[in-house]
Amino acid sequence: MIAISQLEYSYTPSASPVLKGIDLDVPDNALFGLLGPNGAGKTTLLSILAGVIPCPQQCVFINGKDLSSPAGRAASRLSLVPQEYAFYQPLTVRENLVFFAGVQGVPAKEIGERVREAVAQTGLKERLDSRAGKLSGGLKRRLNLAVGLLNRPLLLLLDEPTVGIDPHSRHFILETLRHLGATGTTVIYTSHYMEEVEELCDRVAIMDHGRILRSGALVDLLAEAPQTGHRRKSSLESLFLDLTTRDLRD
Amino acid sequence: MGVMIALIRKEFLLLRRDPHGLLLLFVMPAMFVLIMTFALQNQYAMNKEVTLDFMLFSEDNSGLSRAFARELATMAPLQRLPTQNDWQQMQALAQADKVKFLVRVKPGFDQLLIDREPAVEILFSPGTSPVFASVAQARVTELLNRLYLRYRLATLPGVQSSLAAQASDLVQTRSLYDDSGALPSSVQQNVPAWLLFAMFFIAIPLSTTLINERQQGTLLRLQSMGIGPAKLLAGKVIPFFIVNLLQVAVLFLIGLYLIPLLGGDQLSLGENPEGLILVAVAASLAAVSYALLVAQIARTIEQATIVSGVLNIIMAALGGVMVPRFLMPDAMQEIGSYSPMSWGLDGFFDILLRNGTVVDVLPEVGALLGFAALMLGLAIGCYHRAAPERG
Repeated sequence: MIAISQLEYSYTPSASPVLKGIDLDVPDNALFGLLGPNGAGKTTLLSILAGVIPCPQQCVFINGKDLSSPAGRAASRLSLVPQEYAFYQPLTVRENLVFFAGVQGVPAKEIGERVREAVAQTGLKERLDSRAGKLSGGLKRRLNLAVGLLNRPLLLLLDEPTVGIDPHSRHFILETLRHLGATGTTVIYTSHYMEEVEELCDRVAIMDHGRILRSGALVDLLAEAPQTGHRRKSSLESLFLDLTTRDLRD
Repeated sequence: MGVMIALIRKEFLLLRRDPHGLLLLFVMPAMFVLIMTFALQNQYAMNKEVTLDFMLFSEDNSGLSRAFARELATMAPLQRLPTQNDWQQMQALAQADKVKFLVRVKPGFDQLLIDREPAVEILFSPGTSPVFASVAQARVTELLNRLYLRYRLATLPGVQSSLAAQASDLVQTRSLYDDSGALPSSVQQNVPAWLLFAMFFIAIPLSTTLINERQQGTLLRLQSMGIGPAKLLAGKVIPFFIVNLLQVAVLFLIGLYLIPLLGGDQLSLGENPEGLILVAVAASLAAVSYALLVAQIARTIEQATIVSGVLNIIMAALGGVMVPRFLMPDAMQEIGSYSPMSWGLDGFFDILLRNGTVVDVLPEVGALLGFAALMLGLAIGCYHRAAPERG
């Protein structure tokens, strides 16, 4: 579904590139984990896919359509769930969802139905009239995800969607993503939690310094992972540390 | 259209949930208008409200000095208070601002007057303004001159009666403000002044929401939803423009109805109120554009609050909001003429005080729109320069 070929990107013409010759294929309905240390270029890559940063060349294609063209954008039906709580804290859950549905051009008569769908998928039905700012961290993460589901996305981009929440909320979000993957949504998500990626994803890419170091099916990457004596360390984490040279990052 | 309605509705919901913002935008200017209108009422209404009370202590008992004491008490706006017996006690009262000034008639008043020597002494209390002091001095001097002439010309027939006329009766006065002879009241100065002050304060709530959107990822999310810079910009400009117009309506209604209800003068909208709308629209566009630039430059809400708060107060102080510009020395008036608030204030005064027309406010409207265009251009430039630098 997504094909990226030789993607280069710099924030300014004189700056060193943040993305260097990215090649990546993400099949339809994949649960795709994008891993990398801080500063690897994950968020920049997600921002380009989400259209926040203009696609610099004709090198990202979604269902064969160039993402930099209006037709490509229109056909992609994607949704970005940022790492931050990207909604309005003073508004209620319902007001947030109605607003974000409205700005995405959902017809007024359909907004109620979309909101009901999103809260049903994220378990927020009982919290519709709560102020977003008063929700717990886990509920905020779920609201963040609910906003991303309002346009019934075919491609869902999530930037560390489980940071800073309790195991129950994390489990709920991962189950929701699994369900979305099973019902026709392609999910690309970044995370620092290797066990989580191993549990959820069927395909993984590891990137660092703006390059894709490895990508492929999870089982194939796990087969490459070096053996470690530490029984609690996941195999994917071993491979990640090995590929990213174990340097401390910001 | 639906997108714009959603963006505008969201801004109003956010503002409704922001009690500090509402206080800043509506309650603060309303309080300023009420307080300053009544506090400065006398400064703008010398002819009908002000009295300058004084006490007289006479050390002379001649007929001329008694005439001086009697006639001084009848001269408006002077008002004689009952005399104390003790000069020291009277000075203590003046020192404590219980009376605006003291007049001491010196012994040998007649001879001093004839010799054109100081026949009286005036002591002003510490709180008497220089304007009031000069009025009091002029009235006392006028009476002394009249008494002197009366004494000198006493032997000429027909002169006595004509000299009895008040000097003020010899001059007709008329204000260009109003054919009825009324003078502009403090409400005419204070409503537009504090209105402009409040309009520019939208920089704080506007920049707060924009910086929050930037920091909390909502701006990123909106961009990912295909909301381009033009819609994002309009989504801020339109609601805060409406907020500015609500401020105009609220403060003008206070001037028109609440202040008279509380005993003050009613705001008069002049003969061409459509000019007020033009000035209000131009001032609002200037304020919103300025707010957008503050929001783009400031990295944090604290920065935006401090920068816009300080700049607003400086612009207001220079622009004649806090102290009318006509009271400032020439150099300060010149500096103040560069403040956008002074352009807005001059525009409002053209209509409210000078009975101007739409044509008369065009220079001020043009200056405000030019300022708005400059601020907006800089804000858009800053927006495009601030590309997301993420990992």
